[in-house]
Amino acid sequence: MKPLASDRPFQLLLAVVLAVAALLAVSMVTPLGISAYLANAIGQLAAFAVLALALDLIWGYLGILSLGHGLFFGIGGYIVAMHLLKHSSEVTGRVPDFMQFMGWSSYPFYWAGLGFFPYALLVAAVVTILISGVFGYVSFRSRVDGVYFAIITQALVYVAMLLMFRNDTGFGGNNGMTGFLVLFGWPIGGSGVVIAMAVVSVLLLAAVLLGCRLLLGSNFGVLMIATRDDEVRLRTLGYETLRLKLAVWCLSALIAALAGMLYVPQVGIINPRLLSPELSLEIAVWVAIGGRGHLIGAVIGAMLVNALKFWLSAAAPELWPFILSGLIVLVVLVFPNGLVDLAKLKLTRPMGIKRLASEPELR
Amino acid sequence: MRRLFLILLFLSAAVGSSTAAELHRAELIDRLCGDAAALGEAGRSLMGVAAEGSAADRAWAAPIARAMMDRKLTCDGAGAVAMTADGSRDALSGAPRTAAESGRSPLLSLKNRSVFEMADAALALRSSSDLGRRAAALRTLERHAVTLPELLFESAAAEESDPVLRAQITAVAEAAALNSADPAKRIAALQRIAATPDRRALAKVGPLTKDPAYAADPAFKGAVDATVRKIERGIRIGDVLATLYNGLSFASILFMAAIGLAVIFGLMGVINLAQGELIMIGAYATWLVQEALQRFAPALTEYYLIIAAPVAFLVTATIGIALEAVLLRHLYRRPLMSLLATWAVSLFLINIVRVTFGTQNLNFVTPFYVTGGVPVIGDFIFTWNRMFAIAFAAVTLGLTWSLIRLTPLGLNIRAVTQNRTMAGCIGIPVRRVDMLAFGLGSGLAGLAGLALAPIYSVNPQMGQNFIIDSFMVVVLGGVGTIVGTVVAALGIGQVNVLIEPLWGAVAAKVIVLLMIIAFLQWRPEGLFAIKGRRK
Repeated sequence: MKPLASDRPFQLLLAVVLAVAALLAVSMVTPLGISAYLANAIGQLAAFAVLALALDLIWGYLGILSLGHGLFFGIGGYIVAMHLLKHSSEVTGRVPDFMQFMGWSSYPFYWAGLGFFPYALLVAAVVTILISGVFGYVSFRSRVDGVYFAIITQALVYVAMLLMFRNDTGFGGNNGMTGFLVLFGWPIGGSGVVIAMAVVSVLLLAAVLLGCRLLLGSNFGVLMIATRDDEVRLRTLGYETLRLKLAVWCLSALIAALAGMLYVPQVGIINPRLLSPELSLEIAVWVAIGGRGHLIGAVIGAMLVNALKFWLSAAAPELWPFILSGLIVLVVLVFPNGLVDLAKLKLTRPMGIKRLASEPELR
Repeated sequence: MRRLFLILLFLSAAVGSSTAAELHRAELIDRLCGDAAALGEAGRSLMGVAAEGSAADRAWAAPIARAMMDRKLTCDGAGAVAMTADGSRDALSGAPRTAAESGRSPLLSLKNRSVFEMADAALALRSSSDLGRRAAALRTLERHAVTLPELLFESAAAEESDPVLRAQITAVAEAAALNSADPAKRIAALQRIAATPDRRALAKVGPLTKDPAYAADPAFKGAVDATVRKIERGIRIGDVLATLYNGLSFASILFMAAIGLAVIFGLMGVINLAQGELIMIGAYATWLVQEALQRFAPALTEYYLIIAAPVAFLVTATIGIALEAVLLRHLYRRPLMSLLATWAVSLFLINIVRVTFGTQNLNFVTPFYVTGGVPVIGDFIFTWNRMFAIAFAAVTLGLTWSLIRLTPLGLNIRAVTQNRTMAGCIGIPVRRVDMLAFGLGSGLAGLAGLALAPIYSVNPQMGQNFIIDSFMVVVLGGVGTIVGTVVAALGIGQVNVLIEPLWGAVAAKVIVLLMIIAFLQWRPEGLFAIKGRRK
């Protein structure tokens, strides 16, 4: 991996992200800049980009495909939703819908203290690390990898969805949770707060992007890539890859949970659909389309696919699944490294195709 | 000989209806016009007619009982006149006649009224042609069933044409016998009930332990206790059998859904995420066959499940072969990408079916061979639709096993599964084997769709419900073994069915998944992994 100082494309992407954050921040004080609606869309895209980075870290750089990252996204989302509901009812005195629906007068015990944000943050981190840690440990220890691992993670997120669909779990059941009124004492509906959430999302995207880049540039990153390319040899050389894989897996889960915490306040609702296996598969699609094994690819892929989805879901909802499946087949067959391949095709003019073919192919 | 017998029969019938009953009828009319005690006598005679009388007597008595209840019977010097639905008629002869001015209508006392109410209902139960009237009569009789002659219910049940009402009559008779004053009758009734040991029987017998006779009469107590024990044992056996049977039918569905996946995964290390959608296409192909039969050969419609089998197989096998040739062929070295590619295919298939056929559930004709069932013991009913799924899975298993074990293609598939490179080296056309095996796996999914068609709701989304369960079967069973798939399907099916009634379907799924993850700690390659080089 190139040193950060000479990695032009990465610097460009980071600069663009920061510029968007600055533009959003300016729009907060002047009425001229970006509208609240557009800012909200950008904020959601940024959350998805963070989620894609989480998956790219584990799939692109460690070779482990998770088809269940929606689980960690959902954990972050659910805990922040619980925080927002608790906080809102503490400020306004309004009882959350799901409690009225279930006829409960007091919160289940695990809701205690969630109105206090640092505690909610801590709970989100602990729960994420606990679940990802235990699952990762038992899987990596028994050397479950490749397709097996992907399938089991998918089953995991599916089971979590089924659990969340139950109404008696105290997480809102199939209606989910909505009606978030107050964020840190501010009413959520105002355009200032909406844009502020977008600014925070874009800034955190920049931070995660930079953090991942620094991690990958370090010796640890070299070890990750070595594990991806030939784990058996690395083990033969005396490296314990279990701890490395587990650490990256937990880190990736944490980033996904962070993405969920950014996403849910901006859409204003969470329900078990967030845990559907399809969403988890889609994350892998964003990364594959953008180009896995490239941080830039993950960000651009998530942004592009979701922007397209936002636009088409309104313009031609029937068409979207066909376009998405067409995109996937195109990427899988023609551009194995996603849009990154496309960029290379352009840069190397006459011998472009040949260069592409000689590029080492990720498994 | 036969003629003589017929003549005798005719004569006896004629004598029975003319002389003996005529006398009886006139006497009855006299009593109806008599004092309160005579009226009571008359009511009991009417009940006797209902229980034991001939059809002609019953037909004669029914309007009279009705008229008494409605106070539309008038006594005059020449006998009695009943106002019936057909107008005013002489009670004895049935000839049209109006009552004399001086006639009086006998008034029923409270006690007699209940006697006549029963007689009326009993006659209606025996002779009314209206099902609703008979059912209403049974409800009336039920209240005083203990006091009524047993013969009444027996003959009513024997003559009843409606099966539901017949069962109700038997039940009322049984309950009556159970509560009768005669201990011998009660014990006999207990024994009859014990013959069908289910929860309904237990509900009938259970309250008897609070009956005064239970404490007083040791013989009765012994009979009740024995019956309860027998019923409880029957229910327990029935429950165990029902659980096993449900587990087996669930397992056969899991097996059908997973076997195609297992063949493909074992051979190429590719998980086909579109497998669920191939199941769905198989079900749609079955539906199309049914529709075509309805239009062109309605006589054969009932047999669509059998006729559709080759169609469902061929349609999905063709799709599978096309899929392999166009898409998966290029992805064998990138199994993770093949996950995304097959998911794209599944997305495409769901939406193309949704656009073509709509999202509503398809309607399937339920053929006679998958309707109903045989009650075995307790509450266990051996239902034919589940049996169809089990039999279908067994046949599929047999065919797949023979194909893999006995044909040259099967030999090649096994060789490539064990060692792809070596198989290629000794001249097996690896690519062609891949393509055919993918077709086989897809075709098996189509057959699964057919087996599901009469049991599950068929819509574009249906495939998604099976895909994760069938992965679990493959992961647990180990790749590339039919035995593993069978054992894993049976295990997961039974565990699911065992847990479901205790904690619900969701908990069953969670526990099964956790058990599989724990199991993989012990045997990461699954239950019956083939010894061979992988990757």
